Amino acid sequence: MSPVRIIYTLSFFFVLFVVQESAVSLIHFPISGFSLYLALAISLIAFEDHNGALVTGFLAGLVLDLSPSSNAPFGQWALILTSVAFLFAVNRDSIADVTASPITFVIVVAGGVTLALLSYLGFGALLGEQNGSFGHDATVLGGNLLWTVIFTPMFLPTLGRLHEYTLTARER
Amino acid sequence: MARGGGNRSRLLLVILLVTALFFITLDLRGVSLTKGSRSVTQTILSPVQRTVSTIFSPVGRFFGDVKNFGKTNAELKQELAANKLLKSELAANADTKGELAQLKAVLDLAGRGNYKVVAARVIARGSAASFSQTITIDAGSASGIRSDMTVISQNGLIGVVKSTTSSTAIVLLLSDPSFKVGVRIARSQSVGVLSGLGSNEYSLVLLDPAGTIKTGDILITNGSVGNKPFVPGVPVGAVVGVDNSSASLTQTATVNSYANLNDLGVVSVVLSAPATAPSRPLLPTPNPTVTVYVTAPPVPVLSPSPLPSPSVSPTKKK
Repeated sequence: MSPVRIIYTLSFFFVLFVVQESAVSLIHFPISGFSLYLALAISLIAFEDHNGALVTGFLAGLVLDLSPSSNAPFGQWALILTSVAFLFAVNRDSIADVTASPITFVIVVAGGVTLALLSYLGFGALLGEQNGSFGHDATVLGGNLLWTVIFTPMFLPTLGRLHEYTLTARER
Repeated sequence: MARGGGNRSRLLLVILLVTALFFITLDLRGVSLTKGSRSVTQTILSPVQRTVSTIFSPVGRFFGDVKNFGKTNAELKQELAANKLLKSELAANADTKGELAQLKAVLDLAGRGNYKVVAARVIARGSAASFSQTITIDAGSASGIRSDMTVISQNGLIGVVKSTTSSTAIVLLLSDPSFKVGVRIARSQSVGVLSGLGSNEYSLVLLDPAGTIKTGDILITNGSVGNKPFVPGVPVGAVVGVDNSSASLTQTATVNSYANLNDLGVVSVVLSAPATAPSRPLLPTPNPTVTVYVTAPPVPVLSPSPLPSPSVSPTKKK
């Protein structure tokens, strides 16, 4: 990943973070909430190659760690999203090109978001964080899964084009 | 992994993971750099959040309004019926007004008007980054708000200030799983701890093993030393279910809060409690009792040769 793309990616995640914290968080979704940030971050990770996925995951996590209302230690999201990106990078070739089929892509992104949230819960539990009852956590996970499945197809084409646009000639 | 670039990819992965762990370690050790970065982010975010909140709040309530659309009419009818009933009860219980005034003087439950408060608008809610339940309000340290101050709505306690910038503050909501507040039952003055469960229900654990909880019991904040983080006397909620399990040493109960945390528009941060407010839990004042000491009557001293009384001088024989 070139330094220019790192700056692009970082800027993109920061703008996305502001949108999530300012606008998306204000929407009272019927079942839990929707993390546009996580859905887009996982989508971008899925678009990237091996090293690109790792760096994208790390940057996405680092920006998410800046959230002022987060109880988790700084770096927890960076660790989790890097790990999720690693899983994506390792398995992407074995499950074929996920970007080729929109349905597969949506399923993979929704699974990635759920995996990231589950890892967050698990790691938080190891660090002694209180994340609520099982029912509450299950609702949050289920709600995020549902809204990710619904909303991901809406931004997928735009994100794909944006990703193509930011690629350098060498990376293409 | 081998397909992904071999050693170089592996090295990159290790570097990124170690960096993340390094940040976590720094944060857990309380290094101000990581905490400061969140404060800076909040400062940058707050003007955007304020602007977006003004434009976006009608859209934000769209789902909630749609969900409650059919329910509103039925609720209105129910409320009107309840209102009629309350009016008739009020007329019948006119003679209890005097008692009510006394009760008010003793309990001084909320003392809402007596708290020095700062009103603030909710400009953001929750976070994409965690399961914690927070709101962001548009008043901060410039308005006198500091960390660990009580935040109330029109119906009672909603949370506590977690962090501040000059113009915003993040409030940890009552429903957050890490939220705990000392409460007392207004009826019995028993003290307990109320915990958030991440939903609209709360768990109450009574500290007094001999205490009892009844459905409908009203809970008010117990207060903290120096009124931080909680001022005393703020209504919290009512008991809706009591767990009578014999396995536990103390009684537990399920509580519903008075404040509706899903529909917060304007909240108030309590800057200081009135001087007359109790800093400790209100304990029933004991009635003055008359103490009677019963002592034995003086026993006459029998002496074979009583001493002559000094007032009576012996007569001299002529």
